[in-house]
Amino acid sequence: MFTDPISILLFTVTLLLAAMSIIVALKLKARESAAVVAMQIAKQDAEEACYALDSAKIHACIDRTHRRQVESVFNVLRDAVIVIDAHGEVLHVNEIASGLLNVSIESATGKPITEVVVDHQLASTISDARSGLPKEGRQYEQEIKNDEETVAYEVHLQSVGHQDEAMHAVVTVLRDLSREREIARLKSDFVSKASHELRTPLSSISAYIEMLVDGDAQNEETRQEFYGVITTETQRLQRMINNLLNISQIEAGLMHIDRIRVDFQELVERAVTNMKPQAQEKNLEIHSQIAEVDLSIVGDGDMLYQVIVNLLSNAIKYTPEGGRITVAADTDNLTRSLHFSVSDTGLGIAPDQTDKVFDKFYRVENYRHVAQGTGLGLNLCRHIVETLHSGQIGLESTLGMGSKFWFSIPSERGQRKAA
Amino acid sequence: MTKAHTILIVDDEAHILQVLSLKLRNCGYSITTAVDGEDALYQVKTCLPDLIITDVQMPYMNGLEFAHELSKDSKTAHIPVVVLTARGHTLETSDTDIPNVRKVLSKPFSPRGIAELCEQLLANVPIRASEKRDAA
Repeated sequence: MFTDPISILLFTVTLLLAAMSIIVALKLKARESAAVVAMQIAKQDAEEACYALDSAKIHACIDRTHRRQVESVFNVLRDAVIVIDAHGEVLHVNEIASGLLNVSIESATGKPITEVVVDHQLASTISDARSGLPKEGRQYEQEIKNDEETVAYEVHLQSVGHQDEAMHAVVTVLRDLSREREIARLKSDFVSKASHELRTPLSSISAYIEMLVDGDAQNEETRQEFYGVITTETQRLQRMINNLLNISQIEAGLMHIDRIRVDFQELVERAVTNMKPQAQEKNLEIHSQIAEVDLSIVGDGDMLYQVIVNLLSNAIKYTPEGGRITVAADTDNLTRSLHFSVSDTGLGIAPDQTDKVFDKFYRVENYRHVAQGTGLGLNLCRHIVETLHSGQIGLESTLGMGSKFWFSIPSERGQRKAA
Repeated sequence: MTKAHTILIVDDEAHILQVLSLKLRNCGYSITTAVDGEDALYQVKTCLPDLIITDVQMPYMNGLEFAHELSKDSKTAHIPVVVLTARGHTLETSDTDIPNVRKVLSKPFSPRGIAELCEQLLANVPIRASEKRDAA
């Protein structure tokens, strides 16, 4: 077909051109593909970058939310909480800690602990804790002085995360021991007073027995007198122990009472009848002013009888011979309650002592020579009336002019159920 | 040993006053009593006792305040004081660190033990107070 050399050359050139065109076309095609891929990669990168940005935002958001949650949890706690990082800088302080350290939460965060905690001992203890704490943490008691007072705290230090890790932190919890110390003081005070009051009759009993043994009572009359003292002091000791047990049971919510409908008038009349011989010994008159209305209430008859007898007995003890005692009972329709009172023409109580007479072991100063008591009777009355019957007990008195002890108890409604 | 010494007993518990008075009278002492610190101060001025036995917890002026008052007065600072307390361990040593307080005894106490203590404390005490009283 191509016989002449020119034809052959032309054909070859054409083939070469065609091949080159194909190659160029193929190259162009390849370039185009690469550009597409690159664009796709770029798009993917951009998408990933967007995603990463969103993710970072989300994480930041989660971090903020998480931090706020942690802070809220810390702020619920009644103890002061201080968290520092591995560098000794404050990560968190809760509101209680903020108050204790006299620094705002915002200004404390990020500051070195030594700048936030003024108390040098506490600051260095917290700072030193970064270099290692036992697994169970460290606990000790320390007094911390603030502007107004010195308060005892239980300090608890605990490591969070491993010491070598970046996330390592030290959590310090400070628990205010004021209330516990106050309870311990009150308990100790109570035991001391109870011990004193119990020792007094015990001293008499022991001394009189020894006198009898040593023959110091030289005649039958003296011996009989000694037996009498031993008997009355033993009874006093017994009353004290019973009263103490009753009061502690009521205070602990362990006193079970019978809550039935009680004829209060019958209780008052029985108490007056039983106490009359004691009153007559001192030539005292007991007047009853019992209203002619329904005086029945729901409560524990034995307990209420004990309150009436205690108040009546006190009036007899502290009213000089020839005096007058008035027992009154009535209902108050307005408050739907029963009102009872015992008035006497006795020594009266000074205004500064009227609030204290219902306290345990409180004895009115000028009463000690007049008669002996347990120092618990009125406290027990208050518990029976107020704790067990949701009532109110009180005293009106003028020194030298007599006293009026009263109590009121809701007739039916509003009575708290005893434990 | 002479038994004409005068002892003042101070306590607001009538039974304690009675039992100690009887025990010490039986031992031959002359006894005066008071029911609180203020009453006791008056008694000291009027009878100048050779020894005082006082309870701690009393109204108006307690036994330790009373002993402290006596220690400040040259006329009464020499009188030995025996303190009776029902407070036991709650009484700090510093509370009773008063020069004239010779002994602190816890209640319940033994009247026999008190009588022996009085004999020891008064063994070398002349009956000065009585002489002064007589002279007055």
